[in-house]
This record gives sequence, structure tokens and C-alpha cells, in this order.
Amino acid sequence: MKTKVAFFDFGGCEGCQLQIANLEEDVLELIDIVKIVSFREIMKEHSDDYDIAVIEGSIMRPMDEERLKKIRKNAKILIALGACACLGGVQRMINQWPVEESKETVYGNSEKIKDNPYFDNFHTKAVDEVVKVDAYVPGCPIDRNEFVRILIAIIQGKKPPLPDYPLCVECKKKENICLFEEGKLCLGPITRAGCNAICPSYGSECEGCRGFISHPEERAYKEVLEKYSISVEELLHKKSIFNYRYIEKKRDKNE
Amino acid sequence: MKIMLKEEFLSFVDGLIESMDVEGVKAKGKKFVFDRLGSSEELRLDYDTTILPPKKYFLPQYETIMKFDLSKQFSVKKEEDHEKRVIIGVHPYDIVAIKQMDKYFLDTHPDDLYFQKRKNTLIIGSNILNVSEKAFFGDMETGYVDSGYDLMITDLGDRVAIEIGTEAGRDLLRGYSLREASTGEIEEVKRIINDASEKAKRGLRVKPQKWHDLLEKSYNSEIWKKQAEKCLSCGTCTLVCPTCFCYDVTDEIDLTLKEGKRIRTWDGCLLRNFTEVASGEIFREKTEDRYRHRFNRKGRYLPTLLGFVACVGCGRCSSQCIPDIADPVNLMNMLAEEVSHLEEKSVSPHTETIIQSTEVEKPLYVPMPATIKNVKKLTKTEKLFEIELDNGRSLGHMPGQFVEISIPGYGEAPISVSSSPDGKRFQLIVRKMGDLTSKLHTMKEGDKVGIRGPFGNGFDLEALRGKNLIFIAGGLGLAPMRSLISYVLKNRMDFGEVTILYGCKEPCEVLLKEEIEEWEKREDIQFLKSVDRCPENEKWSGEIGVITSLIPKVKFDPKNTTAIIVGPPVMYKFVIDDLKNLGMPEENIIVSLERRMKCGVGKCGHCQINGIYVCKDGPVFNYKDIKDLPEAFT
Ligand SMILES: Cc1cc2nc3c(=O)[nH]c(=O)nc-3n(C[C@H](O)[C@H](O)[C@H](O)COP(=O)(O)OP(=O)(O)OC[C@H]3O[C@@H](n4cnc5c(N)ncnc54)[C@H](O)[C@@H]3O)c2cc1C
Ligand code: SF4
Ligand code: SF4
Ligand code: SF4
Ligand code: SF4
Ligand code: FES
Repeated sequence: MKTKVAFFDFGGCEGCQLQIANLEEDVLELIDIVKIVSFREIMKEHSDDYDIAVIEGSIMRPMDEERLKKIRKNAKILIALGACACLGGVQRMINQWPVEESKETVYGNSEKIKDNPYFDNFHTKAVDEVVKVDAYVPGCPIDRNEFVRILIAIIQGKKPPLPDYPLCVECKKKENICLFEEGKLCLGPITRAGCNAICPSYGSECEGCRGFISHPEERAYKEVLEKYSISVEELLHKKSIFNYRYIEKKRDKNE
Repeated sequence: MKIMLKEEFLSFVDGLIESMDVEGVKAKGKKFVFDRLGSSEELRLDYDTTILPPKKYFLPQYETIMKFDLSKQFSVKKEEDHEKRVIIGVHPYDIVAIKQMDKYFLDTHPDDLYFQKRKNTLIIGSNILNVSEKAFFGDMETGYVDSGYDLMITDLGDRVAIEIGTEAGRDLLRGYSLREASTGEIEEVKRIINDASEKAKRGLRVKPQKWHDLLEKSYNSEIWKKQAEKCLSCGTCTLVCPTCFCYDVTDEIDLTLKEGKRIRTWDGCLLRNFTEVASGEIFREKTEDRYRHRFNRKGRYLPTLLGFVACVGCGRCSSQCIPDIADPVNLMNMLAEEVSHLEEKSVSPHTETIIQSTEVEKPLYVPMPATIKNVKKLTKTEKLFEIELDNGRSLGHMPGQFVEISIPGYGEAPISVSSSPDGKRFQLIVRKMGDLTSKLHTMKEGDKVGIRGPFGNGFDLEALRGKNLIFIAGGLGLAPMRSLISYVLKNRMDFGEVTILYGCKEPCEVLLKEEIEEWEKREDIQFLKSVDRCPENEKWSGEIGVITSLIPKVKFDPKNTTAIIVGPPVMYKFVIDDLKNLGMPEENIIVSLERRMKCGVGKCGHCQINGIYVCKDGPVFNYKDIKDLPEAFT
């Protein structure tokens, strides 16, 4: 019996699902080993009978929470797909301001959205802040090879493979020139590897879209920034793009 | 020494490019890399150093070591690499490093995958024209080599001087016009070599011959901690180093679930999870311990093991470590400030050239097919597997040795043989922990697995014969110990008094219940068992308390008894302290240790306790031999 997989989207751009829809010839093989029962990007039908639920997007409203909890009940395994689902995504930066304030900025002082559940936003959450997550496929967008690797591991009954070492490892294996040597600020030393250091390979700084490793050497990293005369504000800005969750956690701890 | 005109040399390179894979130094931005040459014009003999060393050709960043056909029960095929290759422009310090690599990979348990790549590769060295800012090969005396290359060239502008190192090198030159070098030209080459070495001196105050003593005396220096506070644990210093060889091994399966491969990839001891085992324990958890290990391996452990200092002064770590703490010159100079007198050892980075005289045929990593003959459930988490090799031979193990058991697509794991050596079959007791062991737990009689080994040093039966023995097993430690207990009980007359103490957490975790009943009944041994706690609804006839509480309850003469201790890492210290307090001499204590393992044959680096390799020097050790190793019992 093939494993049944369903895809669901929440607050996100569906770019990660697109990465999977784009697997091209691979997707045929993928369909060969699993049965996709729900996937808005490529099919109309939908079924509530699935083994693996793949969740894309962050959780922004009470109605999302309800829906997510139902999905969790139906699924044997739940995978968080992409930076939005794993961390809250770029939109989590909005958590810096009170919800009402941001609403006003975005929608104006409109009475129309007042009781509309679709606009009943709370502070952005990652999927695992609402339900238990069994596997994470981080990244913005995700790396489809990694998605396939993780899916295969789950079908095999193995632990979902996710590196817990810094991006620099992959960057060095690719023989890149370190961006610090060019005076740029790269989050590589504290970011979880797995994307094959794609940004530094093209000369762009890593912005940490895969989240941080479990034990980032924070103090050492700050010292490095001092050495390269990079300000803490610059760092915080860069960190908050994808990892505002991390900053929130730190702040809560300090409070 | 020969001379070739530059134009002729360039057509020589282009000629090579037509006939084989030619890798040479090319520009990458403002830096340089070894990469495939498309034409001689790309070759940059004026480079200072490359980002990665040429080790990537012999131990690639990612390397398929075997392939699986998963549609069959057990089908693995070793990956062959027959491509002929020449690398042009290798600096002398990197040649020294390659010679070290040869020694490391071709020493006991020669690595056939390494050998194949190495043997198919010709090396055209190049004397150094430009010196990178952080290089210190002058201090290390590695700016010059007289062997280890097939050809060694020196760029003299309009001419190239060529030193022929091997017959294979000479053959390459056939058909190209050469002349003998003049005295002037020989002098010119000498000057180039000397100039580079002079420039590559950075004021190292402790010569490599003294690193050993310096590192030994500084093991507990505060400097490690102070420096490590700046460390990002990013692994760069090991990845870019020509003399760091540690690797990880993982299995991958393709989308069809029909094929898969086993891959080895660079790992590094500076990474936090390098020593992590399935239970979550990390043996070198503190950044300072990892930071210190790297330097000690270079200056102390490898010199002791293989006779060379594992740093060639290339300066790659020095220039690529972002916080700038990886530089050996700075570190050694800092340590030296705290130590006044240093002994010298007759070691240097140089080592003999062995590649031409070596042959390796036996595959090191391909497992032998074997069949599970019987499976017995022992507890909720442990099963006993009886296995037989498909080639019909017995495993030929000694009590205390282990095998690497593998399942294509799920990986490999070291497991102690827990039966005594007789008959064709052998037994493994396996706890369900992670990928491989969980899969193994789903397997049944008739299923196939792969076996490598037996590996490691077992118990020294000759030394134990005639002695009084006390076995102290904690939890799963009974698995390896049982191979010896069974042997001793079968040959009971050959041994003195025998005592067995066995402890585990709860009654439901007790292994081998029937055998234990037998032991309890036997009159010719003393046996006691205990559990840390006993839930109310369970039956328990033994003691309650930690394993050390059993020691005072049995009669034995500590001065004339040999203790064999196997258990979880936390257990050793307490048991050993108690035995020593009773007056047991240190040399009477034998332990078997566990560390993360990948290769089982002393190559991947994971199992190191300071300078020793648990996989090949252990897992069984005499306590006296390792008690002074700071990393042994933590
Ligand atoms: C010399 C020796 C003898 C052992 N004997 C036994 C035994 O008799 N019975 C038993 O149940 N277990 C034994 N172990 C422990 C066993 O090797 C691990 O439980 C096993 O490797 C876990 O593999 P996994 O793939 O299921 O777990 P994962 O967590 O998926 O591990 C992945 C890989 O990490 C490495 N690794 C993880 N844990 C360990 C570990 N504890 N030791 C070494 N490498 C590890 C292995 O290469 C393993 O394949 C022994 C370990 C050593 C070193
Ligand atoms: S560029 Fe970024 S990821 Fe690459 S080595 Fe430098 S810091 Fe690390
Ligand atoms: S390099 Fe960094 S930002 Fe780029 S994909 Fe990888 S983790 Fe994301
Ligand atoms: S010493 Fe430097 S290069 Fe090495 S792990 Fe630490 S920060 Fe990285
Ligand atoms: S330790 Fe540093 S200088 Fe020495 S060989 Fe390795 S990378 Fe080069
Ligand atoms: S060196 Fe690889 S397991 Fe010991």
C-alpha cells in the first residue's frame, strides 16, 4: 500500500509547494512511491484520508489553528514545509508591533474587517507552536532534494535527516570564498546547513532562511561582527528576516 | 634537472588535457582553486595557495563508496573509479601532506577506495613562486620536497625547470623536447625554493619537534578555554586542512526506492555532534575540548601513532578561520609563554614516500552477506540475533570484539559479538535506538544483513587464564561481556574463582533471563543481580540499588582478582573507584568502552579518546593503559 500524502497551505506564498510541483520528471517517480491525495498546486480533488500531512505556511488566525488541529488528528505524520511553517516566515517580523497597530497600518482604520474571521489575525506562529511536528523541511524556498530525502526517510521508518551543523561546512566543501573576507555579513556560522550553501555560492550573504542550529555559538559570532566592524543593529535586522522567532524567544527568556 | 621552453611546456599541458583528466590551479575571484583544466592558459603557477588542498581528489567532499540494488535481498557493489588523472601545480607542503595521507590511509587496514584514486593520479608539483600571507611552511621546513611527486616543475618565466620523480613522470614527458639544466638554472631553482621558505617564516617559536612536549604540558592550560570562547564550531579549520581526514558515512536511497548508495563525506572534530551517539551523549561536548583536540591530534597524537607532525604550514586554517583562532603559529607561541623547558622528539611533518611500493586489493568497506538464522525477543527494546555468514565460514572472533552490521539504505552500526567463539553462528544482542537498529528489529529469520569484521581488540584470554575473575556488567554491557562469560563457563576448569555482578534499571530490562537463572543455580560461581528500582507490580528476586552496592556483598580477594567492567559511560568511574579502594591493583582492571563509530578500522576519526582509537586499539582496554587519558572516563 502506498503512503498517502496530502498538502495544505496556510499563511505563505505557496512557493514551497511550487518547488515540489516543479520536481518535473521526479514528481512522477514520487507519485509512484506515494499517493498524493490532496495538492492544490497540481490537482482539484481533495481527500481527508491521508498518512502524511505536509503543512506550508505560518499560522496567523484562530481559524487556521482549528483547521491545523483537525489535520493533525487525521495525519499519522505531520511535516512542516518551508520557513513559514518551521519558523513563522518573514511575516513574523510583524510580531514586533501590536496586532491592532499592524492591522491599522495594512488595512487602514476600516470597520469592514472588524468582525471578519479572515482578518482576525494574532501574532504569527510556526506550526509547532500549535501542534506537534514530526519532521521539518526548512528553507525559503525549500530545497526539493531535501524534501524528497526527508520523505523517503519517513517512508523507510528512519529519522528525518536534518543537518545540525553550520552552513559553513557546506560552503567550505564547495570551495567558496568566505563572504566575511569581502566585508559582508553572512549568517552561515549559526545557520543550519542543508541548502548546499546556495546563497554564498552565488556571492550573496546567507540570511538564515533555514533557521539556526540547535547550539549556535552566539557569543563568538557577536565577537566576529565586532572584528569586522558590523553593528549589532545590522545583525539584528538580518537575523529578524527569517529568525524573528529566535529573537522573540530570547526576549521572553530575558523578561 | 631538465629544462623545457615555456611554449613547449604549455603544449605539453594541452597534450595531457587531450588524453586524461587534468586538474590544475586556476583563479577563482581573487583566490585560487584546483579544478579541471580546459586549456593550459588557465594554469596559474604563480598562485600563493588554494582554498582547499588537493586532498579532495583522494578523499572527495562527497564520495559514493558503494551502491545497493534494493530489489534484491542483499546486493551491494563497490564503487570503482578508474579514471586516470594528473594534478598540476601541487606545492611542496601539499605534497608532504599527501605523503602523510598515504601513510594514514594505507597503514593497518589499508583503504582500497583511497588507494585506487591515489594510484590513478600523477602529481606534477610546482615550486612556490608566491607565498600567502599566513603560510609558515618555512617554519615547518616543508617548502621543499625531494620525493612524493612524479614531476616537479619550477616556472622560470620563459622556461620551466623539471625534476623527474618517477618513471611514470618520465613517460609523460616522452616526445617533448628537453635539455639538461645549466648550473645557473639549477642555482636559480634553488634560490626560488629558498626565497619562498624564507618568506614563509612567521616567527614560530616552538619548532615542530617540540610541539609534542608543549601540548602535553599545556593540556590543562587556560588558553584553550580563552581561545575557544571565540570559536564558532564551524569546522572550517579541519575541512580546509590538508592533514585532516575525518569523514562521516550515510546511506541514501533514490526516489524509486529500488536503488541506493552509501556515501562518505568530510566531517570534522570541531563540529559539536562529531562524537554524538544514539543515546544523545556527546563525548567532546565543550567547544574547548574540541578546539584542543585538533591541535593535539596534529602535534601529539599522529606523531605518536604514525611518526609525523600533522601540520605542513600551508596557512589555510590561519587565513580561513573567521575569528582567527585556528592559526598554529599563534597558538603554539601563546602556549610556549607558559612553559619554560621543552623536550625534543625526532619527528617532523616529513614522512617516507610509500605509494609506489604499496598494493591494496581487499575491499575495506564492503560488507559480507550474512543471514539471520534466529531472532529472540529479550525485552521491550532488546533482541538477540543469531547470524551466519553466507560464505559458510565462521566469524573467527575473540570474545570482546565487535562487528559492523549493515542494512543497505539504513546504515551501519558497531555491535559487540555476544556469543563465545564456537560454531558457525554468532549472536548479537541489539537495543533498538536509531535508524539501523530499529530496522534490524523488524527483521526475521532468513533475512539478509551485511557484516564487516570482527574488529578491535578483544579480551586477552591467555592473560586471564588461571585468574580469579569478577565480572561487573551494567545494562547492555552484558552483551559484550557475555562472549567472555560463556567462554569462561564452558572452560570453567581453566579459571579461578568466578563472580558475576549484573545491574540494570528495572526488572523488565533484565537480559537473558534463562541464562541468568542457570548462572544463579551454578555452584561454581557467585552471582548477584540488582535493579536501581522496582515498580510495585513487578516481581524481583535480586537486590535493589546501584551496581556498586553489590560489590561489598560478594566475597573475593581484590588483590588477586581481575575485574572486567562493561556498562554505560557513567558507571565506570564509580565501580573503578570502589575496586581501587578495596585494594585492587590498577592493572587488574579491564574495561570495554563505547564511542561513536563509523568505520571500525581507524580511519573516520570518530571514536578517538585523545590519541587512541577505540575501534582498533580497543574496545577492550586495560585500565592502567588508559587511566591517564583525560577523555577516557568523564
Ligand atoms: C564497540 C561497540 C560495541 C557496541 N555493542 C553494542 C551491542 O552489543 N548492542 C547494542 O545494542 N549496541 C551496541 N553498541 C551501540 C550501537 O552501536 C548503537 O546503538 C548503534 O550504532 C545505533 O545505531 P542506529 O543506526 O540505530 O542509531 P542512529 O542514531 O541512527 O545512529 C547513526 C550512526 O551513528 C553511530 N552511532 C550512534 N550511536 C552509537 C554508539 N552508541 N556507538 C557507536 N556508534 C554509534 C553509528 O555509526 C550509527 O549507525 C556498541 C557500540 C560500540 C562502539
Ligand atoms: S560565506 Fe558564510 S557560510 Fe560561507 S564560510 Fe563564510 S560565513 Fe560560512
Ligand atoms: S544560504 Fe542561507 S539564506 Fe540561502 S538558502 Fe541557504 S540557509 Fe537560506
Ligand atoms: S577554530 Fe576557527 S575555523 Fe575552527 S571551528 Fe573554530 S571558528 Fe571555525
Ligand atoms: S593545521 Fe592549518 S597550517 Fe597546518 S596543515 Fe592544516 S590547514 Fe595547513
Ligand atoms: S576511526 Fe572510525 S570508528 Fe574508529
